[in-house]
Amino acid sequence: MKIVIAGSGEVGSHLAKLLSAEEQDICLVDEDSRKLAVLDANYNLMTLEANPTSFAGLREAGAGSCDLFIAVTPFESNNIVACSIARNLGARRTVARIDTYDFMDPRNATHVAHMGVDSVIYPEYFAAQEIITSLRRSWARIWFELHDGCIILAGVRLPENSPLAGMQLKDFAFTNRHFHVSAIKRNHETIIPRGGDRMEAGDILYFTTTRDHIADLPELAGKTRHSIRRVLIMGGSKMAIRLVNSDERDEFKFTIIESDPAICARLTHKCPDCEIIQGDARDTDVLVEAGIADADAFVALTPNSETNILTCLTAKEFGVKKTVAEVENIQFIAQAEGLNIGTVINKKLLASSTIFQTLLASDTSTPKCLALADAEVAEIEARAGSRITRTPVKEIALSRDMTLAGLIRDGQGMLITGNTVIEPGDRVLVFCLAGALHKVEKMFI
Amino acid sequence: MELRHIKNRSLVNFRMLVRILGWLLGIEGVFMLFPAATSAFYGESDYLPFLIVACLALFSGAVMARRSKPRFEHLGRRDGYLLTASVWVVFSVFGMLPFIFSSAQASVSDAFFEAMSGFTTTGASVLVGTENLSHGVHLWRAMMQWVGGMGIILFTLAIIPMLNHSGGMQMFNAEVTGITHDKIQPRISQTAKSLWTIYLVLTVVLVLLLWAGPMNLFESVCHAFGTISTGGYSTSPDSIHAWDSVYIKIVMIIFMFLGGVNFALIYRFIHGDFHTFRRNDVLRTYLIVIGLTLVMFVISIIYRRQVYDWQSVTVDPLFQIVSTITSTGFTVVNFENWGSFVLAVTFVLMFSGACAGSTSGGAKIDRLLYLFKNAHNEIYRCIHPRAIRSVKVNGKVVNTELVNKVIAFLCIYMLLVVGGGIILASMGVPVVDAFFSAFSCLSNTGLGAGVTGVGSGYEILPDAAKWVLSALMLVGRLEIFTVLVILTPTFWRH
Repeated sequence: MKIVIAGSGEVGSHLAKLLSAEEQDICLVDEDSRKLAVLDANYNLMTLEANPTSFAGLREAGAGSCDLFIAVTPFESNNIVACSIARNLGARRTVARIDTYDFMDPRNATHVAHMGVDSVIYPEYFAAQEIITSLRRSWARIWFELHDGCIILAGVRLPENSPLAGMQLKDFAFTNRHFHVSAIKRNHETIIPRGGDRMEAGDILYFTTTRDHIADLPELAGKTRHSIRRVLIMGGSKMAIRLVNSDERDEFKFTIIESDPAICARLTHKCPDCEIIQGDARDTDVLVEAGIADADAFVALTPNSETNILTCLTAKEFGVKKTVAEVENIQFIAQAEGLNIGTVINKKLLASSTIFQTLLASDTSTPKCLALADAEVAEIEARAGSRITRTPVKEIALSRDMTLAGLIRDGQGMLITGNTVIEPGDRVLVFCLAGALHKVEKMFI
Repeated sequence: MELRHIKNRSLVNFRMLVRILGWLLGIEGVFMLFPAATSAFYGESDYLPFLIVACLALFSGAVMARRSKPRFEHLGRRDGYLLTASVWVVFSVFGMLPFIFSSAQASVSDAFFEAMSGFTTTGASVLVGTENLSHGVHLWRAMMQWVGGMGIILFTLAIIPMLNHSGGMQMFNAEVTGITHDKIQPRISQTAKSLWTIYLVLTVVLVLLLWAGPMNLFESVCHAFGTISTGGYSTSPDSIHAWDSVYIKIVMIIFMFLGGVNFALIYRFIHGDFHTFRRNDVLRTYLIVIGLTLVMFVISIIYRRQVYDWQSVTVDPLFQIVSTITSTGFTVVNFENWGSFVLAVTFVLMFSGACAGSTSGGAKIDRLLYLFKNAHNEIYRCIHPRAIRSVKVNGKVVNTELVNKVIAFLCIYMLLVVGGGIILASMGVPVVDAFFSAFSCLSNTGLGAGVTGVGSGYEILPDAAKWVLSALMLVGRLEIFTVLVILTPTFWRH
């Protein structure tokens, strides 16, 4: 698939590397030759120094004949213009990164489509949704559901006293038929487990289950549920504004701590329902004053990943039950998880989730995809006659970097065992390590 | 790559290098089957050494590829440099074996020199009595140039899908000539395929054109390989004079010229991108340099009363110029009678070389263009110290780091010529010959060392000098940095 990416900022270069590893043909367009030079010399992709909002530049990049055009420059309006040009030149699908809800509003959908934008990436919005989900189910690290929750993938960190710690996977599977351990994240590595692998305290386990049994999961894993009401947010970033203005805002009581008085003044306009406190949240006095003692959750959303991680640790010492940190350095995600930061938010991963969804959308109607630091979870529809549908799952030679977790057949969710035969039209939840998604996809076509 | 690998990895991923070297050796083995078949076809006894060496290469390649079990496949920058340099050496080592064991009966020094000269498209020959060589040996010499011309690595990238990742990128960067590397397709294997397709098509066309002239098919193939790769080996000891045909000279001028053009540019031209083609400063400079030197040559020829017929002032000097600037190294009959002025200009042409991204050698016109534009700016700044001017090539501003890199390259290039010349002189080679041959080998031109004393070539040099020149050829072909970086202590240190 030929993909043109406009903008080689953090999101753009992350997508370029990722998609290049997925064996797609990538052309990266940017005006800054220095940024491009590093990528050009080290990755298997093509770069072009040109203005991404010019006809000449996009024509030279081959946007006219590309299958997917992704505009991820720092400016929303540039992205829209770039998509519009690419569409007019003949790009098959276009994706623009936006940073206001306006372009996502269903009322404006036809207008946005008219401008030549097929889908949008709005990392702040996805981040807000993810934070809300993690606050609602504070025991889960990751929550990914298909088809209104028919199939759910939940990432849970095993506590020290968990009854599952030390148990072999085959023993677990024998007694718990309604749960499928799809992957284990241990230290810096995600592994697709086999029957002989053991679950250990401190691991993050990715359980797949159906709607009827999800309620039993916290107890099974030895987690306690907390209901979250008071939420303290550090940093008045775009993401924070989106979070306190989300549709689910009534469930929570938000307080934002921001150090810049000018931003605080602006926040009072943009976030009418929430309390704004001016001060540096790294200062414990400020935290105490903001009510950390009574807070149920602490969400750190400053642009600085280190500050976010460290302040979350401080908040944990105050007894906050759930912490969420925005971590923009992908390498730090594993560190943050190791330090027991509840949920980690990363804009680049959220953006790549959307792109993977778009990639898969050429085959299925409304697929879902979730990009983790070194793995991907995707919903893929099995086509009639594809390799995956011919034999029971245990007879398919699956490579070690993927697993089939569950499937949805006729609106009903079910788990996959060795004897399951996948039928055409089934929507399968696949868990695969990074770079293997294209391999998985081939089996379904 | 995962963190735990970075902690455990040694500086160089040797096992992976050995595996890739194995694959490449296998490819060389396959290539050697062609001369074997040719010898067998002509009923020569040389088919046997070729067959044996081919089997040896295939066997050792298979062993290396199968036995070496890398812990991880990631190739870093160091791996790219080391692999590329070692591939060229290993190829030459195996490529020299047929010269030793066949009817050519060369010594090890001669055979290695010949092989390295072939792969680097230098075209300097130390085999005496080329007329007695078997068809197999002739074809092998021609094929070495052909493969080396576009690049061994590039060929491999085009056919081995396993290298289609960032490791392949590193190797591509280490081998392809030029300051920056034009990718014409998003993925490296597609780029390699496109470039090799153009190369292949040009070669086939050239074979047909030469065959249409006085050459037979075998000679056409050998000369086509030597021309498009800008190598310069010939099947006849008299080189192309043996045919004494204006037609052949003209055809060769055109294809040597094409061999000196950036192949990415040819690709763009074929795909209808005339805009890039027209605003390409390098190509224009290439043409201007050829035009200007032609005028100088003609004046010198007329002044020295060397005009015998119309060819002496048109085709002959043009042939000589194009052959020198593209580093092919074919010569016309009375080149040595044209005077020392012409010889001096030849030096400059050898130094400049043709466009980057082509099969030619030398420092490349691109770099000289950067240098001159930068020098011009510096001179301008003497009068207008506050003026901000940038080096602009092909309609794009070149950043200062790149200009610095180019200047460093040219300095090292000159140092290598001086160093190589001094070493050769210390071995008893006459001073002018010493510097001329060091220059000729570093720029992969391969014009005879005996320019001052015509009639003898590189074969009169002592063995040690041949090894020095072989090293210079490799350094020149891989454009200095790839080889020199391996020799620095930093390369082997964390």
